[in-house]
Amino acid sequence: MKSLIKIISLLSILLISSIAQAALNIQTWTTQNGSKVMYLYAPELAMVDIELKFDAGSARDGKQWGLASLTTGLLGTATKNMTENQISENFNEIGAKFSSAVSKDAATISLRSLTRDKILKQSLATFNKVVAKPVFNKKILKREKARLVLALKQAQTKPRSIASKAMWQGLYGKHPYAHATSGSIKTVKKITTKDLSRFYKKMFVAKNAQVSIVGNVNLAQAKKIAKQITSRLKKGKKPPAISLPNPLVKAKTNKIKFGSSQTHYSLSQIGIERGNEDYTALFVGNHILGGSGFNSLLMEEVRSKRGLVYGVYSYFAVMKVPGPFMISLSTKNSSAKEADQVVKEILNGFLRDFSDEKLQAIKDNLIGGFPLRMNSNSKILGYISMIGFYDLPLDYLERLPKAIAKVTKADILKAWQKHIQPERMLTVMVGDPK
Amino acid sequence: MLKRRSFFIIALSSIFSGCALVSNIDNTSPTSSISKTPIVVSDGVASFELDNGLKVIVKQDHRAPVVVHQVWYKVGSNYEHNGITGVSHMLEHMMFKGTKSVKVGDFSKKVSKMGGQENAFTSSDYTAYYQVVGKQHLESVMQLEADRMRNLLLDEEQFQKERDVVTEERRLRTDDNPSSKLYEQFNAIAFLNSPQRIPVIGWMQDIRNWQLQDLQSWYEQWYAPNNATLVVVGDVDPVKVKEYAEKYYGIHKKSNIMPPKPQLEIPQIGKRAITIKGATKLPSVIMGFQVPSLVTASNEDGRKEAYALDVLGDILDGDDSARLTKFLVRGSKKLASVEAYYRATSRLKTSFSFSMTPSAGVTPEQAQQQVWQEIKKLQTQKVTKKELNRVLAQAEAAYVYRQDSVNGQAMVLGSLASVGLPISTLDNWIDNIRKVTPEEIQAVAKKYFTQDTLTLGILLPNGEKVKKLRGASSHGGLR
Repeated sequence: MKSLIKIISLLSILLISSIAQAALNIQTWTTQNGSKVMYLYAPELAMVDIELKFDAGSARDGKQWGLASLTTGLLGTATKNMTENQISENFNEIGAKFSSAVSKDAATISLRSLTRDKILKQSLATFNKVVAKPVFNKKILKREKARLVLALKQAQTKPRSIASKAMWQGLYGKHPYAHATSGSIKTVKKITTKDLSRFYKKMFVAKNAQVSIVGNVNLAQAKKIAKQITSRLKKGKKPPAISLPNPLVKAKTNKIKFGSSQTHYSLSQIGIERGNEDYTALFVGNHILGGSGFNSLLMEEVRSKRGLVYGVYSYFAVMKVPGPFMISLSTKNSSAKEADQVVKEILNGFLRDFSDEKLQAIKDNLIGGFPLRMNSNSKILGYISMIGFYDLPLDYLERLPKAIAKVTKADILKAWQKHIQPERMLTVMVGDPK
Repeated sequence: MLKRRSFFIIALSSIFSGCALVSNIDNTSPTSSISKTPIVVSDGVASFELDNGLKVIVKQDHRAPVVVHQVWYKVGSNYEHNGITGVSHMLEHMMFKGTKSVKVGDFSKKVSKMGGQENAFTSSDYTAYYQVVGKQHLESVMQLEADRMRNLLLDEEQFQKERDVVTEERRLRTDDNPSSKLYEQFNAIAFLNSPQRIPVIGWMQDIRNWQLQDLQSWYEQWYAPNNATLVVVGDVDPVKVKEYAEKYYGIHKKSNIMPPKPQLEIPQIGKRAITIKGATKLPSVIMGFQVPSLVTASNEDGRKEAYALDVLGDILDGDDSARLTKFLVRGSKKLASVEAYYRATSRLKTSFSFSMTPSAGVTPEQAQQQVWQEIKKLQTQKVTKKELNRVLAQAEAAYVYRQDSVNGQAMVLGSLASVGLPISTLDNWIDNIRKVTPEEIQAVAKKYFTQDTLTLGILLPNGEKVKKLRGASSHGGLR
């Protein structure tokens, strides 16, 4: 037994790590041609996560809805000297993972690779070419458009997709956040390789880029990697700020008849942008209302007490400019009206008051749970990328739990009453509500 | 592009994937302990068994002061029979409804106050409960979880409400989702007498007719220390875990667990097919073939077949260089999407299946022909060294990547133990797939993928026009 304990404690000493500490040693700098870099050294595993992010989400589509999504999606399908199959071979034969994603705010291209010399060299060489020297091939675009159009058609048969689309359109009208990231059948069909090239040249530029790195590469290596990734990008410039959306001035209801057994429901209003001074108060309050799973008011009342739903959530999408606050659920058609009523009663009650006990419980949860938010490289990458992209302070992750500890019920009620007005909210129902 | 290898899981909110179990260090070191239940450390994983039969697996990960604690019961939908289908999943929901000493809802409240995350999930092979907490709370969650292993209080009123919740869950996941319905019905004809055919959530008719007594009996029959595995991964000391396990789980008595009857699937003697219609705009197709798993294989040759099928799965659909995407989505462009699926760690005989959405203008029949062409290639030509190397490189990388998540590590260990596979399956995974030869892959492709052993499921649009936004009835609302 003794020898075992020895082995085990020896192992623990060897494995003690930097991410176990409360304060993350995040480092940031700007590359020669103007890209922001966010970096954290995490040597415990022989791997690295690298992310390249552009302020080039679907909010930058203009009238060509789906343009950001298709442009980003075609990165990795061809370069001057590599075909689609060669590119995927180059990543896959060494176990590297290449992926991309587009949101309303950002276009993101990611690489996960082992850090063994030869492997990292090959994965980075391919990644650098793919992001900086893409070719937009007509045949590939045609194929991807055809697949996208099929997916968009199929989305019209999914009540959840229809409800989500109705919410964004209903809240944002003509604002660039209104349309779906994937675009519409009509707009996607018209997009050409020339459009992709134009969008790429304008948006995928060094001054509009951020590189985030977490993993087993030291500072000198990280500097070199960031330089190599961005040095082949055109310098370019940052796009102008996205305009502010106009809030609804009156309550609005949109009922869409659909042949499903459940009604998909949302209650929403335009909320806040990243960096808003009321963020902490709204964040803590939202966990009491509907953001903390089984212990939130909405789950207790709508699911546990009444059995009306499998899930009900409330959520602030905190974005470059104010994103939506929403409560959503799905329930059998015959209980949709009851669910609507219950949700509105709970929200109104919450805006007036909630118990001190609930506030303390949620503070304990959020503060005590902080280490859980940072116990993997991929979670940390998500945070440092967000801190950089939305220009939050570098010590954001240390400030937040302190701010949570300080926030009072009065702060929360004040912030909620300022931002959330039930008489100006949008109700969406897709199904056959009764 | 979606990758293969994902467990089919019905969970409250968790979907997890990954099952390539690999390792390259081998430092097996049984300890010379005087305890009746020695801690055995193998490849950094400590394991031991309590006197009451509870298996315990501990893996240290000291990157953050966090620990995941899971209890896995060997019970799931393929332990069930007609009339009570879905009862394992329903019992999982009821496990949050209180015990003799913990009130309804208090389990979640207590874990939440610790800053923890918790939930549970049910699959065809097992039911598992987990908490992720700061390491200082490990003892508290072990106490809570051990309590509900034996002391659950099932209440009629809570039961009725939770049945409504599960009914909504079924509507959401299956009834309003034509492709889930296709999978459910495909699976029910792929297996005619094996309980592998039972959907995890249960048939709606059965959900409506459960009695509280069904849950009580199920709980008494399966929730026992000698039918469970405890998995702890994170910033912990195995010796401490053993101390707590003995203190809290050790007090429970062993049960007499009657293993489920074998109910081996009858031989398939010709093609089985089902066509369903649903509110979809696109048809979709599933083709499946009954195959063995590492658990069902009775000897070394059978296990070799399972490893060969696993590698074959990766050659077809392990990544976006794999054959199905390369030749059918990017090459012929006949398919808009296609996936191959096989789980080598299934407790019962399972399906090797292909799911696809044909491109516009391509019929379900033409789509099947595309997959048959790829199958023929596997049967007539040997796979290349390059393809095999790629599969190995991916497996080795996946092993490192998986260590980034304490949950992911615990999942693999718990699922292996729950289907009765040794933990060394994990240690030896890469070695076993490295041994797979092109000849073995060709042989399993010939043996299992035949016209007479095909099960076919087709989903066709029901032709109903999606009702137009006639309700776009905005009342009020100015911007």
